[in-house]
Amino acid sequence: MSPRLRRIGERWLPWTLAWLLLAFLFVPVLVVVPVALTAKDYLSLPTTGISFQHFASLADWRAGWLPSILTSLGIALASSIAATGVSAAFAIGAWVYAGRWPSTLRIILLSPLIVPPIIYAVGMVRLWSKLSLLDSWLGVTIVHVILAMPLAVLAIGASLSNLDPRLVQAARSLGARPPTVFGRVILPNILPGTIAGAILAFIVSWDEITVTLFITSRRLVTLPRKIWTSIADAVDPALAAIATVMLVVTIVCLLLRMTVWERLAQRRS
Amino acid sequence: MSSFQRWAFGLTVPAALLTICLYVVPILQVLALSFTEPTFGFGNYVEMFGSAAIGRVVRTTMIVSAVTTVLTIVMSYAVAFALVHMRPAARRVALFMVMVPFWVSVLVRAFAWITILRRNGVLNSALVGSGAIAEPLELVYNQFGVIVGMVHYMMPFAILLLYANLSEIDPRIIQAARSLGARPVTIFTRVWLPLSLPGLAIASLFIVIFSLGFLVTPAILGAGRVLMVAEYISVQISSTLRWGVATALSTTLLLVVGVLVAVAARSPALRAAFEGGRR
Repeated sequence: MSPRLRRIGERWLPWTLAWLLLAFLFVPVLVVVPVALTAKDYLSLPTTGISFQHFASLADWRAGWLPSILTSLGIALASSIAATGVSAAFAIGAWVYAGRWPSTLRIILLSPLIVPPIIYAVGMVRLWSKLSLLDSWLGVTIVHVILAMPLAVLAIGASLSNLDPRLVQAARSLGARPPTVFGRVILPNILPGTIAGAILAFIVSWDEITVTLFITSRRLVTLPRKIWTSIADAVDPALAAIATVMLVVTIVCLLLRMTVWERLAQRRS
Repeated sequence: MSSFQRWAFGLTVPAALLTICLYVVPILQVLALSFTEPTFGFGNYVEMFGSAAIGRVVRTTMIVSAVTTVLTIVMSYAVAFALVHMRPAARRVALFMVMVPFWVSVLVRAFAWITILRRNGVLNSALVGSGAIAEPLELVYNQFGVIVGMVHYMMPFAILLLYANLSEIDPRIIQAARSLGARPVTIFTRVWLPLSLPGLAIASLFIVIFSLGFLVTPAILGAGRVLMVAEYISVQISSTLRWGVATALSTTLLLVVGVLVAVAARSPALRAAFEGGRR
């Protein structure tokens, strides 16, 4: 091999390959945008003109998209609040409590990250049909709380591991009662992690599909469930419109996070 | 126990009750049902191992998961390796391109692949339009489509795991190798690769586990023609109501996942990866 060829092989090939792979990750997701703008009423690229009619159909209450968005928002809010509360209590308790119990419990608590959700779905159909909680707000919210807790515990735990234990000792030696120590000393200091945990819990619930698919049927239609049935039934451009909305929201949130993050980092340094 | 410790213990109780009553018990019930439904004994397992249909499903699951894992790991390693070597500005753009698919709903991604790979989808129209092919290719509703969708789903996870692992490698080791006269290829195969083995192992473990129990992407991009374990279980529960077979398959899946995790937890390389991954 000539030195020039070898140089090309070593320098340029890895870069080209990496950017091609990044394009494979990023570009296919964007395809929903032009498809949403088609003027035809089937899935196609907008070759005959651009139209916003499919976005308009999202706002039509009878089309079912708006109600399912509200359903998902409500469930995600409720389960995020509940999951964050329970997880924060657990994380703080486990951080303070000396003994084996918290570390054993932590493994069980984090197991939904590894155990395939299909197995949990099978178990919950059985339990909820016995308790008549199938297709109910409460049933779905409880399941989402369970599935959201692992990420909330991890986020709050990360915040706690940066907390100086002497802070607690100082508060206690100054005579603070246990509720004061937990609520007014520890909690304010782990607020960033708790907020991160709440956001992650919200996203888990907002995106959850596998278990929700089994424990809901007609009455309670979350947005992922609505998308699932639309994909299965027919291929409607309104689907591309909702996918575009979700994509744009994701991109805006990511950009916000990246810029806010940098500003915070700059301020700190 | 001091009053302070009692309070701390009390704070862990709600989480404990929730997970035990509403996570552990339902899953244990799945395990129990596999031995009692419809009659007591190992009947479901005998049926499961004897059934040709389930054999096919298991084979499909194993092939698709294996191909997905190998492709995902190789491709993600290439991206993670490039990420470590990028200038900060380029890295920001690249990480953004990883984060967008990572956070976008799995359903949106599966739908995007359908619009691209369908018979009259974006890719086929472009290929036929440009005259590259005469007839549209069958790109989806088969194993190819499922694997494309799954690799696309798994890659961001794997890239982020591998990138975290690679950026912990001390750059002075690489400098030492270079100053001792090693060529780039040698540095890659004899220094980078061995040092990233723990990261590769942990990423592979996660991808295999996610793939084996994956429902959404195989169900949408396979449309019933590429039946994997999770979708087969789902059909047994919702249409044919064969709870015995469904729970026996779930139990087996759980067992496989458990064995994989147990093996991983025993291997020192993986333990190091877990401990190295702490924040």
